[in-house]
Amino acid sequence: MARVSLTGVSKRYGAVRAVNALTLDIRDREFFVLLGPTGAGKSTTLRCIAGLDQPDEGDIAIAGERVNDWSAAQRDVALVFQQYSLYPNYTVRENLAFPLKSKLRNLSAQQIEARVAKAASTVRITHLMDRRTDRLSGGEMQRVSIGRAIVREPRVFLMDEPLSNLDAKLRELLRAELKGLQQRLETTLIFVTHDQVEAMTMGDRIGVVNKGELIQVGAPHEIYNTPKNTFVASFVGAPAINLFDVTLDLSAGTAHDGALSFTLEPGTQAQLGALPIPNDRRVRVGVRPEDVKLVAAGGVAGTIYGAEHHGVEIIAIIQAGDHMLRATIPADSNVAVNQPVQFSFTQEKLHFFDPLTGDSLSQR
Amino acid sequence: MADIQIIDVDKHFGANHVIRKLNLQIRHGEFVVLLGPSGCGKTTTLRALAGLENIDSGEIRIGGRRVDQLPPQERDTAFVFQLYSLYPHLTAFDNIAFPLRAAGMPDAKVREAVTAVAKVLRIDHLLRKRPSALAGGDMQRVTIGRALVRRPAAMLMDEPIGALDAKLREEMRAELRRLHIENDSTTVYVTHDQVEAMSMADKIGVMNDGLLQQYDSPTKVYDEPANLFVAQFVGSPIMNVVDCEIAATANGAGLRLPGMSEAVRLGPRAAAKLHGGAAAADELMLGIRPEAIAVSRTPVAGAIAARVHLIEPMGPYDIVDIMTATGHDDGATLRARTASRFVRAQGEPVWLSLDDARTHFFNKRSSQLLRAAA
Repeated sequence: MARVSLTGVSKRYGAVRAVNALTLDIRDREFFVLLGPTGAGKSTTLRCIAGLDQPDEGDIAIAGERVNDWSAAQRDVALVFQQYSLYPNYTVRENLAFPLKSKLRNLSAQQIEARVAKAASTVRITHLMDRRTDRLSGGEMQRVSIGRAIVREPRVFLMDEPLSNLDAKLRELLRAELKGLQQRLETTLIFVTHDQVEAMTMGDRIGVVNKGELIQVGAPHEIYNTPKNTFVASFVGAPAINLFDVTLDLSAGTAHDGALSFTLEPGTQAQLGALPIPNDRRVRVGVRPEDVKLVAAGGVAGTIYGAEHHGVEIIAIIQAGDHMLRATIPADSNVAVNQPVQFSFTQEKLHFFDPLTGDSLSQR
Repeated sequence: MADIQIIDVDKHFGANHVIRKLNLQIRHGEFVVLLGPSGCGKTTTLRALAGLENIDSGEIRIGGRRVDQLPPQERDTAFVFQLYSLYPHLTAFDNIAFPLRAAGMPDAKVREAVTAVAKVLRIDHLLRKRPSALAGGDMQRVTIGRALVRRPAAMLMDEPIGALDAKLREEMRAELRRLHIENDSTTVYVTHDQVEAMSMADKIGVMNDGLLQQYDSPTKVYDEPANLFVAQFVGSPIMNVVDCEIAATANGAGLRLPGMSEAVRLGPRAAAKLHGGAAAADELMLGIRPEAIAVSRTPVAGAIAARVHLIEPMGPYDIVDIMTATGHDDGATLRARTASRFVRAQGEPVWLSLDDARTHFFNKRSSQLLRAAA
């Protein structure tokens, strides 16, 4: 069992609070992604789990045992970085065997060879075994780095942006490989990234971090469909969610802000009636681009500011007064710049936030 | 009018042939994106247009005038780099005004021109600030403002938004495109990011190894990629490309992928690309985009029986990795785009139907797309 638990973990660098009272339970055999922008504290959290950094406060437990005072080696975790930390003058085989040659492990030459061969086939580098690592491509090097982590058969894998240096096509390929790998190995994997696509596609669960705080933990569809605040809402999803403020008039069943005024459907009206609406009746509306529809009549009036043809679909940028909204519409739609259009929302998919705090009104 | 013509241009760096017989016709008002991986020759091409690199042979014409022997300042182009090249001690206003003052324009006219361009770029409220006080996106707007203010015949941009974060890039894409339209500019824009190319270009020139691979509208590049390189460079997730075998079925040409026990019949439009089996003498690869594969959770006659390997949720939709092998044999992996949470579990059996019109074949040896007879 390799559950990883953090309880009230804080870490400061000088005056900077890198991680602030972080409490998190990562399940055995879970693919857990820490997602956030640069400086959010996600790498620091990972380094504390690995034993490369000591938290100022709080406990870290692996498989139920407090490991704060254990060395990095004793924790039995393997770390993979964005920069491949391979020995350049050695072959792939030697690089893979290296962590097993430690006297602490006490493995025979045959045992080492067997484990190296198995790890190499798992990450598909068997054909590269005798090549020096400085003769490898970026993708091959990162496979070797992952192979060198696998060969140790650690209780937990820790990965810090391992795909960020690779080109888009390779990243896409390795994403799927890494997820498949983690499932076959049945090991806990904690993965740090700033890339929301990586988080969505690989994570069993995602922990969104910002400014040292853990904001929300949930399965990818929960993070996407029920974001806890506007930060999570706009960090996850591309194109980004549309956010705008409106004044509600629940008795008239309308929401309005200049050119952007629309009628609330009965269901939306009932939903809002049950929410803690601020006294000035101003709320921030969040609507994902796929929930903005162009309609023939009866919608909000706007004009097409731009149209991006992405092949699979078009991202229409609609201007309505001071507001700019993005809508994903079918690839065969006919839209031209400056064309007047009307649009409406899939209202059951609307999100409502407090404009002051950014917190979701439905998740208090 | 600022048409740009690149005619038979060649360029070496030592033994390295970085531009190979490049021919490009860019019409006035077009937004052309040169797209390719690093080292493909796109930036060298842009620099050659600007006069920052000499060419070995060939011709470059801007607005009908031959410019390849002229120094940069006589070519009437403006160049925007990825890194903001602003004067740190000058305000945003003075940075933008710099090229106008250098040309001796009177103060009143300078003020008018700078104010107009700042308004378009929405930085009119930032004009008194110095670069160090500006956010990354605003700094790049000032850089673009400085390039635009001279009203050059052609705007040349080298990955101008590559250093910005994802959300800002999304906004800047729309604004750059808009700016291009409002200024009636001719723009040549270099990037390795296919999303930028697709979203902004009137025409994309895909380059690899110094060679132009395809020069078409984004839609055409996406729907009819000229070869395997283009097919796999444009589009995310990438187009599925797998080995395939063409086999006869009772009802005409059929398709068999690794892991399939028997062939499935091809639709008439896909079959027409095979020229009655003449093409099948060569080894072929099937190319199909994830959204052109329909996934069913119940058996469909004539569909490919397969099983779910991985589910990748994207938010608005899922990408599902599907293995064609239902037995022990190693199958092919196809990625399909489905509605969010349509497929429930890994290992689940599914049936795949390929959209007839969007089924492509590539010659494995030449990597070229097979086309139906006109």
